[in-house]
Amino acid sequence: MTPVNLMDRARAAVDALERLVGGLGTAILAIGTLIWVAAVAVTSLIGVGLPFVHSAARAVRAAADRERARLSRWGPEIIEPDPLPPGLRAARDPVVWREFAWVVVHSTWGMVLGILGISLPLYAAQDLTFPLWWTLVPPGTGPGLVFWYVDGLFGALLVCLYGVFWLAVCVFGHPVLARVQAWPGRRLLAPPAGADLSLRVAQLTATRAAALDAHAAELRRIERSLHDGAQNRLVAVTVLLGAARRQVARDPEGAGELLERAQGAAEQALAELRTVVKTILPPVLDGRGLDGALKALTADSGVPCKLEIDLPGRCAASVEATAYFVVAEALTNITKHSRATSAKVSVSREKRNLRIRVEDDGRGGADEADGSGIKGIRRRVEAYDGTLTIQSPPGGPTTMWVELPCGS
Amino acid sequence: MRIVIAEDDPLLREGLALLLRAEGLDVVATTDSPEPFLEAVDKHEPDVAIVDVRMPPTHTDEGIVAAVEARRRQPELAVLVLSAYVEQAFATDLLAGGAAKLGYLLKERVGRVEEFLVALHRVADGGTAIDPEVVGLLLARQRPESSLARLSPRERDVLALMAEGLGNTAIAEKLVVTEGAVHKHIRSIFAKLDLPPDDRADRRVTAVLRYLEAAR
Repeated sequence: MTPVNLMDRARAAVDALERLVGGLGTAILAIGTLIWVAAVAVTSLIGVGLPFVHSAARAVRAAADRERARLSRWGPEIIEPDPLPPGLRAARDPVVWREFAWVVVHSTWGMVLGILGISLPLYAAQDLTFPLWWTLVPPGTGPGLVFWYVDGLFGALLVCLYGVFWLAVCVFGHPVLARVQAWPGRRLLAPPAGADLSLRVAQLTATRAAALDAHAAELRRIERSLHDGAQNRLVAVTVLLGAARRQVARDPEGAGELLERAQGAAEQALAELRTVVKTILPPVLDGRGLDGALKALTADSGVPCKLEIDLPGRCAASVEATAYFVVAEALTNITKHSRATSAKVSVSREKRNLRIRVEDDGRGGADEADGSGIKGIRRRVEAYDGTLTIQSPPGGPTTMWVELPCGS
Repeated sequence: MRIVIAEDDPLLREGLALLLRAEGLDVVATTDSPEPFLEAVDKHEPDVAIVDVRMPPTHTDEGIVAAVEARRRQPELAVLVLSAYVEQAFATDLLAGGAAKLGYLLKERVGRVEEFLVALHRVADGGTAIDPEVVGLLLARQRPESSLARLSPRERDVLALMAEGLGNTAIAEKLVVTEGAVHKHIRSIFAKLDLPPDDRADRRVTAVLRYLEAAR
């Protein structure tokens, strides 16, 4: 073996050690997750744990994402799965189950390998350096992995030789060990081969098409409201002004009346323009951010509305606009249909997702089929690859969850 | 002159009726969608129908369809179509059955009351009124190598006014030249474009528009 080759080996071994330590870190995370999941599972049997099911699934996902990021640093990238389905449906997600299987394997087997990976080099170092400090320990006491009676300098040198053996084991064995530790993650956390990826592609294609549709619908809406609103008003202004000009000589009083009508029409045109502009991109979003815009929105709501907002930093403008409309539309629906006496809007950012929850204490029974409001919300949300869930049993209350990828 | 109006915007509908009545014209019915419009046309047998292009239910070209149908029922009916924007396809649809007693104007032209009334009367009297915007659109689409390129700038002006439906006198007035000069220009245009040298207004317009269409 050439010296260069040996250097490569040593470097690979150090890399592997680093990986094993990192793996140990995620294994500890996995243990925590495992305990949490177990607690939720047991308490769910008597119903108490059910509200925590989603958070348990999130914990599994978080640990798995950590491992994905770690493995992606050391090898081929592992693509992250779709966002978690909201509520209890998260527990039925097959991806979550695969991730949970990884949690079990990694928190046990991965943990053992990690500990082994750290302790072997430590023992090897102990053994190698034993001749330097054998006099400090009482006779008969051996360093790590020495199971025989050690006595005298000769014995110490023998232990040193023994350390060389373990060092060799580390140099040649660690890369293998690290691979073995990573293997369950690579198998279980990668997207299942073939079918599911194509599903993801199909879904992306569909949402992209939906986005284009939503844009076209949006353009149509803007064109229609400009045409039916402001443009028609302005035409009326010119017609009335024309009539007034003709009238002015014959009947000044009548002309004055026409002019007043013309002015009214011009004012209407301005109002319509304001409305249209506001629905394209609410100026308040630009000025005060989603935070301030939602405050204004909930303050103006027809039903008393509480706002809980926790947003570090801003999202992409289109996402903020979508979030704003989701809340605006939801509040309009609540005011119009729910007969609620109070409502609550919660907005938070969780990693790359913007999460919105809108709830009310109304009569429930919100149906996507009969109101275009919810359908409109869903179209806008899905256009941004987000998810929408509504729970609205007859008699209420109604809760709506929306998750939007932030795009930043 | 007895008039039926079809326009779905209430403000505009009433404004139009107001204006026409103030001018001493007889607005016999105002309607807001194609069905009542056709009923009103059947009932009142007006001289002129003023029709908005976008009307319920789909707000696309209901007005054009209704206008064509009204003309089918009453071939003597003069139709003036008003539109918020010019669409060449609408003009083509309308003119398919000849340009006599037809008008297609942008809505805001109504505000220039004198000119609007002239156009209205011209249409009622069997003439044509095509919005300069439409004509401009058609002229702008001409490729440089088309035979239109052979026209002098003055002849192009005359052609555009002809296409709008103006007669020789009106063209002469607009361009501040003598009628004789206009007549000469027109003969020259017809010769350059290989059009039949017929001088009746609607035939002129149809011929010009057909030519522009074909040369696209």
